Amino acid sequence: MAEKFDNLEEHLEKFVENIRQLGIIVSDFQPSSQTGLNQKLNFMITGLQDVEKCRQQLHDINVPLEVFEYIDQGRNPQLYTKECLERALAKNEQVKGKIDTLTKFKSLLISELGKVFPEEMAKYKAIHGDDPPS
Amino acid sequence: MTEIFSTLFGQNDSQPATGPAALGFGPGKPPQLGGSPPGNPSRRCRQTKRRWRLRFQDSSGMRGLRCENPNCPVNTDLTGNTNLITHYSLEHAFNKFCGKKVKEKLSNFLPELPGMIDCPGIQDGSSLRSLIEKPPVCGNSFSPLTGALLTGFRLHTGPLPEQYRLMHIQPPKKKSKNKYRHHRPQDPLPPETPSDSDPKKKKKKRDDDPDRKKKKKDKKKKKNRHSPDHPGLTGSQPNSLR
Repeated sequence: MAEKFDNLEEHLEKFVENIRQLGIIVSDFQPSSQTGLNQKLNFMITGLQDVEKCRQQLHDINVPLEVFEYIDQGRNPQLYTKECLERALAKNEQVKGKIDTLTKFKSLLISELGKVFPEEMAKYKAIHGDDPPS
Repeated sequence: MTEIFSTLFGQNDSQPATGPAALGFGPGKPPQLGGSPPGNPSRRCRQTKRRWRLRFQDSSGMRGLRCENPNCPVNTDLTGNTNLITHYSLEHAFNKFCGKKVKEKLSNFLPELPGMIDCPGIQDGSSLRSLIEKPPVCGNSFSPLTGALLTGFRLHTGPLPEQYRLMHIQPPKKKSKNKYRHHRPQDPLPPETPSDSDPKKKKKKRDDDPDRKKKKKDKKKKKNRHSPDHPGLTGSQPNSLR
């Protein structure tokens, strides 16, 4: 899987470098630069062909759209991953807190019901099994 | 940061097992009743349970503590009580992204990418969102440009106008090799074509790293020219003391 990304990354780096050199040639163009310019233009097309070939290997890769917002704002996309993990941990802690609270409530409710309705609770425990008080 | 969830979720070992057994919910064992109705065993079981419910309700006036809603969610082993980061083996990723400080700018993620990439894409129309909203025309194959098509790329000689030069300016890098140019944005590498005639280009080329050595040599040549012992115009010969 990493090889597919390495391959694409390599092609993109070459493509970007080619474009950069093309921009340098164009920034101060001379008549003798024409052949070099033509060569760079054709390199650009072959670079796009190479990237097109890589697309077939990566058709099953899904990218969340929220990452694009980070990139458009000029922010590091790793911040999105970081925030996802932090939100997952926070939600995990929140749900665990709810579970713990409800477990405590349940044991407290059973103990109090046992005081008010001892016979009924005895029947309940006989059916559901003895629940250890928390 | 790993200590946060390890201490929080480390109590699971001492806690009783989760699941229906611990929570007390779920299908319990109905009391054995005499004269079970004949027929389908599952139907018989349902009828038994229904009778048990009615009896329980009649005797105490209190409904049983069990979920009678058939749409109740199924109890699963994986709940919020489990540390999901550990469950999905994401500790390494968590420590990598949340343990260390992640730099804010996009150029820190892509240091080798040229241009001003830290600016918002909306300013120069290079945003990915616009690419999604207005996708380019696809489906055509990429074919190399022929000679006739390349004639359309014949450019005028000379430098670009000022308004377009800014596209090549890169943001100042902290770790620049040349200490004297840290306050200036670095210009791109000079082209390979000979363009040394203009003095402005000479000034630009002085800022580039590969040409700095050449400029040092030029300065030495100039010094040699001004000296009375200058051998000639080339200046490549070393000074000779007379």
